[in-house]
Amino acid sequence: MNLIRAILLLIFFITPLKANTIYNIIRIPNLEIYEINTKNKLKYFYATAPFRLGTQKNIICSNPDKNDLEIKYKTIYKNLSKYSYDYLKKINLKYIVMCENLSISELYTAGIPDNIMKTLILDIKFNEDYFERVIHHEVFHIIYLQHKEIFNDQEWLEFNDSGFKYAECSTCTEKIGLEQYEKTKGFFTEYSKTTASEDMAEVYSHMIYLKKHEINKVRKLDSILNNKISYIESKIKQIDNSFIF
Amino acid sequence: MIRKIKVSLSEKIILVFLILLSFVTFGTYIFLKKECLFIKNYKPKNINFKNPNNIAILNAPCGNVIIEFYPEISPNSVKRIKALIRSNAYDNIAFHRVIKNKLIQAGDLEFGKRGSLNYGKIGTGKSGLGNIKSEIDNNFNYTSGSVGLARTFNNDTEDSQFFIVLQDEPLFEGEYTPVGKVLYGLEVLKKIKSQRHSEYILRPDFINSFKMLNQ
Repeated sequence: MNLIRAILLLIFFITPLKANTIYNIIRIPNLEIYEINTKNKLKYFYATAPFRLGTQKNIICSNPDKNDLEIKYKTIYKNLSKYSYDYLKKINLKYIVMCENLSISELYTAGIPDNIMKTLILDIKFNEDYFERVIHHEVFHIIYLQHKEIFNDQEWLEFNDSGFKYAECSTCTEKIGLEQYEKTKGFFTEYSKTTASEDMAEVYSHMIYLKKHEINKVRKLDSILNNKISYIESKIKQIDNSFIF
Repeated sequence: MIRKIKVSLSEKIILVFLILLSFVTFGTYIFLKKECLFIKNYKPKNINFKNPNNIAILNAPCGNVIIEFYPEISPNSVKRIKALIRSNAYDNIAFHRVIKNKLIQAGDLEFGKRGSLNYGKIGTGKSGLGNIKSEIDNNFNYTSGSVGLARTFNNDTEDSQFFIVLQDEPLFEGEYTPVGKVLYGLEVLKKIKSQRHSEYILRPDFINSFKMLNQ
C-alpha cells in the first residue's frame, strides 16, 4: 500500500508543470494572449495548438494560421469594440478565444458561447461572407444564456404566422443559409427558421450589423420583423438602458 | 642515491592556483547553500505605516513580508483573513503551491500543517469557518505583490487560502478577490521553495508566523 502511495506521489511530483494562467481561468488549454489591453477590457486569446473541450471532449478547435489570425482579429476587434465595458459586464462576456475549424460533436459551428466562463470561442474561418454579422449573432447567445429569465420563447413564437413551426433544434435541419432574404416575411435568413433563440440571434445581429435606414426599411415592409425588432430592442434596454443599436 | 628534484616556478604557480581554486569552490558552495543571503529582513518596528491596523507581518524562512490589507475593497474577505491571523491559524502552514517568480499560495489549514501534511489533499483543505462570497473588484490591478483569496473553479468559494503574485497578472483582474498588497519583502517570497516540474511542492517551506502589527 505504501509502495503504491509512493509511486502515486512520484508521478504527481514529476508531472510536467503547466503553469498556465489562462487555463486556470477559463479552462481551455493551448491558448496564448493575443491582446488584453483593449478599451472595453475584452481579452483576446488564440489557440497555439488544437484543443478539445467538454466532458465528452466533443468540442474541437485548431490553432489558426498566423496571417489569417492577424486579419480576422482586426475584424473581430472592430465589431466587438461596439460594445462598452459596462455592457459586456452586464452580459458577462470577457474572453474571446480565436481558433479554426471549430466543431461540436463533429458539426462545424461559428462560435460557442459560455456565459459562465465569460467566454466566446470564435471560428475565424467560419463563413467568410457573413463573418462580421455572425460575431454579433454569437454575442446574442451569450446575452440569451446570461439573461434567460427575460427572453420568452413562447412570446416570440406568437410573432410568427400561426402555421409556422421551428425545427426541433438548430442542427436538425438543412436550412442553414445565412444570406438575407430579399423578401423577409418574418425572417431575416433561412437560419432564422431553425429555433426561436437562433431567430432572436439573427434579428439581433442584423440590428447591430445593418445601417439604421436599412433596419427602418425592414420595419416598414415587414410587420412580423418589426415586432421582433421591437422585442429585442426592449429586452436589450432591460439589460442595459444606455445601449444604442 | 636520491636526487632531489627542484620544483619549478610554473609548478609553484599551478599549485597556488589549485589551492585558490579549491578555496573559491568551497566558499561558493557554502554561500550558495545560504539561500537567504543578501535578502533584507524588514523590521516593522522601524517603519511608519499609514494604516497600522491593516498591516500584517508574515514571517517566512528568509525573513518578514509586510502586507497591507484593503478592507475598503473586500471587507468580508479582509475580515476573514484578519480573524485567522489573530487566531494564529496560519502559523506553520505550508506554501503548498509555488510557481517560480509567478505566484505563491498558502493557507490550507486542514491539510497543509507542518507535521501533518497530506500531499494527497493539500490545496483542498478548509478552515472550518465556511466559504465566503467573492468580492471581485474590476478596477483592482493585480500588480506584483498583490494578495488575493484563492478559490475553487467557482466563485463564492473563498475560505482561508490566499495567494501572492510575484509578477503582474492582468488576467487575474476581475477574477479573484483582492485583499491587499505586499509593501516590503517581496524578495523573501521569491526564495520560497519551488519545483521545476510541479506547482505543488514536495517538502515545502512553511509560514513561521503570520501576525497583525497591532496583535
